[in-house]
Amino acid sequence: MLSFKTKKYLLVLFGLILTGCKDKLPIIENLNENKYSFVNHNNEPRNFPEFVKGNITVVGYIFTNCPDICPLTTNNMRLIQEKIKKENISGIKFVSISFDPMQDSPKTLRKFAEVRDLDLSNWNFLVGTKQTTDSLMKKVGILAVIGDSTVFKSGKKIYYYVHTDRIQLMDKDGAIRKNYRGSSINVDEIVNDIKSLN
Amino acid sequence: MKKIYMILIFAGLVFGQNSSRKSLIKINNAWIRPAAEEANSALFFEVTNNGNKTDSLLSAEFKFAEKVEVHETYKKSEDVMGMRAVKAVAIPVNTTVKFKPRDLHVMLLNLSRDVKRGQKYGVTLNFKFAGKVKVEAVVKEMPKM
Repeated sequence: MLSFKTKKYLLVLFGLILTGCKDKLPIIENLNENKYSFVNHNNEPRNFPEFVKGNITVVGYIFTNCPDICPLTTNNMRLIQEKIKKENISGIKFVSISFDPMQDSPKTLRKFAEVRDLDLSNWNFLVGTKQTTDSLMKKVGILAVIGDSTVFKSGKKIYYYVHTDRIQLMDKDGAIRKNYRGSSINVDEIVNDIKSLN
Repeated sequence: MKKIYMILIFAGLVFGQNSSRKSLIKINNAWIRPAAEEANSALFFEVTNNGNKTDSLLSAEFKFAEKVEVHETYKKSEDVMGMRAVKAVAIPVNTTVKFKPRDLHVMLLNLSRDVKRGQKYGVTLNFKFAGKVKVEAVVKEMPKM
């Protein structure tokens, strides 16, 4: 039989452990009450974050004209997906959201994924209207402003974004719990964070 | 006989010059990111200048891209990145300049075909003094840094 003093210590210890876990991954932004209407790479409607609720989700932000940071971010998400599969962690979703709805379409997103042989069984690429996109980016703290551009002989112009280099970890309730640098994320770190939320 | 010697010396000078010119700029580890038709990709490599004066990469050519530009990724602020075209990249004497992810790259714009992992492509780099340098690049994802 434990003494009152021992029980008190155990209670305090238990409380500290719980607080420690919560402090490790505090809520950065809660999207639980929000609904953002997108379509995925197959042109199917997806309400974010509703469609991934109940799953821990790795979220990346990209534009497909990007030749450097966004492919790195996408490849890092692929590496996370592979490690999760290897460690038999189930129920994890992946979402890549375009902050360039003027240039990206479901078709360009699908081609972007297909040419990289990505496993899309638990991964959606999303694009929406400019209004929806801007609203979400503001909410989750992603900066994406038009920077330099290239003009082709035909007169066609494409532009590039100055943007936040980010992957976010979202919990099962639709709350952002941690930010990572997308192009240089430590895969082991995020996988450990996923385990602690699971 | 004297004429023959002269011809041999002249030929030696010409070929000697060519071979030394070839060795001035050395390209290693060239690779291209996978990208879909009509999208953009990037070429990365390491370039070493073994000559006795600074050279510069001015431009590049890739037959499956509508346009090719030399670019750099730059840090705008903490966690915010941008990309811009650069006119030339200096390659100082006895120095290796790395065109690498999150840094300098050659941008391959509006591809006329899918560029897939495992494929190999020829790319021509145009240097101010070394002239055209042809390189074979393999398509792959980011090598571990």
